[in-house]
Amino acid sequence: MYITINRLASGMGFGPFPANSLMMFGLVVGLLSGCSPSDGPPPAEPLFEVPANFPAPTYDLSKNPITQEGFELGRALFYDPILSRDRTISCGECHSQSSGFTHHGHDVSHGIDDRKGTRNSMPVQNMAWESEFFWDGGVGDLDFVSIAPIENPVEMDEKTGNVLEKLRKSKSYPGKFKKAFGSEEITTERFLKALSQFMLTLVSADSRYDKFVRQEGEVFTTDERAGLTIFEQKCASCHAGALFTDGSYRNNGLPIQGVKDLGRYRITEQQTDRYRFRVPGLRNVAVTAPYMHDGRFYTLEAVLDHYERGVQKTENLDRLLQKNDRPGIPLSSEEKRQLIAFLHTLTDQSFLQDTRFAAP
Amino acid sequence: MNTTINSLLSLFFLTALLIACQESNVEPLNPNDKNSVILEFDNRVGGQKMALGETTYRNASGEDFTVTRFNYFISNVALKNAEGTLVRFPEQYFLIRQADPATWEAELKDVPVADYTELTFTIGVDSARSASDISARTGVLDPASYGEDGMYWSWNSGYIFVKMEGTSPVIPLNSAGKRAFELHVGGYGGRAAVAPNNIRTVTLPMQKATVRKSLTPTVHVVADFLKVFNGPNTIKLAETYSVHNPAAAGPIADNYKNMFLVDHVHND
Repeated sequence: MYITINRLASGMGFGPFPANSLMMFGLVVGLLSGCSPSDGPPPAEPLFEVPANFPAPTYDLSKNPITQEGFELGRALFYDPILSRDRTISCGECHSQSSGFTHHGHDVSHGIDDRKGTRNSMPVQNMAWESEFFWDGGVGDLDFVSIAPIENPVEMDEKTGNVLEKLRKSKSYPGKFKKAFGSEEITTERFLKALSQFMLTLVSADSRYDKFVRQEGEVFTTDERAGLTIFEQKCASCHAGALFTDGSYRNNGLPIQGVKDLGRYRITEQQTDRYRFRVPGLRNVAVTAPYMHDGRFYTLEAVLDHYERGVQKTENLDRLLQKNDRPGIPLSSEEKRQLIAFLHTLTDQSFLQDTRFAAP
Repeated sequence: MNTTINSLLSLFFLTALLIACQESNVEPLNPNDKNSVILEFDNRVGGQKMALGETTYRNASGEDFTVTRFNYFISNVALKNAEGTLVRFPEQYFLIRQADPATWEAELKDVPVADYTELTFTIGVDSARSASDISARTGVLDPASYGEDGMYWSWNSGYIFVKMEGTSPVIPLNSAGKRAFELHVGGYGGRAAVAPNNIRTVTLPMQKATVRKSLTPTVHVVADFLKVFNGPNTIKLAETYSVHNPAAAGPIADNYKNMFLVDHVHND
């Protein structure tokens, strides 16, 4: 099944959308034509669609069209520890669906041989809209993302070439590659593109917040509505748009501790990038604890307390956190409570429980 | 009409044949003819052939060292012909690995027949290809193809242009109990943001390389590893033995830019 996407720019921001625009404009779904609503099973859900309240994807889907077979291959790879040196760690190990494809409860993850990294595992969701990946943006193309955890000595500690060899020798994978790509040949490109296909399908856009902004009958409580207003005033300049990130790198004033991670500087080696990290999106944020690049905050309360009174004036502290007489964002206890109520509306249960995304 | 064309054609072929007969010793230059040029990379350390892991060499700072790994990418080769025109070969990428003699002779394909007097190449992989789609990463650019050589940075997506590893008694013991140096030079200037750029381009004069349908010249390039330590910058292994980030690698790249010369050309 091929799904073609017209790259339409849709609105960002938080304004409401007409209800009928939910019908994924700019989308051509090939397979659905045969099914009529009145008889037979419900039509298969398309694997990828641009939600009405999302902008156009960054990823060029024409170079890697998502197919059912490619998606299934990518999912099999994502959940297969064959990707690691000793066949113990899969992608799903540190990117678990019920936690928004993060590693719940782990500040940093345990990789192979129980080795610990230095950074908190990031959610794998809405990847089609990301232009740069990882906390420092070291990879700028989704198709190259998978190599990093595979080859990181504290994650899977494997050579990508070895993975391909193991897949070629396996009983099932040559057949799966044939289904997805037309022949049994297992190449770097096919391997990486299959993983991309699976990751691209992980679209979270059905939270209560989404239904609220798309005017699908969702009603916010007083606290949630107040929280949204505070969010728009005090958070949305960085956590901007439908993806809740402006894609920038900022120093949010965390006390410098532990491994003294220099963040974006590691990639650009520009002094102005020291201690800057990518602004993460906030979808499913209530289930992706702990927070920050090193997972130092275990609760949303701790995060908001940091912004309210913990921000340190360290090198390259973001200007938006220096607008008042002391660094940070003024927030009352009431405002924090309301913000957290709002942040919970970003939890997308249908995404977190979608059986298509679970281990096969 | 047809007759006229036929006669013209016959005349043309006859003339061509005559010219061919007249110049029977020197092949005519048909601009559509192409052949290969072999770029032979001969890695040396000063006056010695480079032998991995065995021989101890000494740099200009008097530091003894061995070399255990020496790999580098060559790309964007260009040859200047007798008319002074630069003929470019942008789609051909080479990875020279000292451990694998099969890689020492890079075959530059599809070179138009001509006489060439100057060789230009990039040490490393150009920024466009360093950030290109995965479908363009085949052959020596396949990031999964390097095995233990690891010529690709997965965490800072890009190629390691030049990888130099070895040992020296002047280096402190590492956690593996070795006195090892690892000088990894990469950095193509960044994809969207500005980042250090260690792409270096070398232009070398050479005696005439004669490319004909029957002649595949070999351009014998010598690379002197000692120049890594001794050039515009003095690199001492006692101080610089672990380089894994582009900014720190710049002075090394400025040095090795000068390590190549064309020793001679075989026109056969």
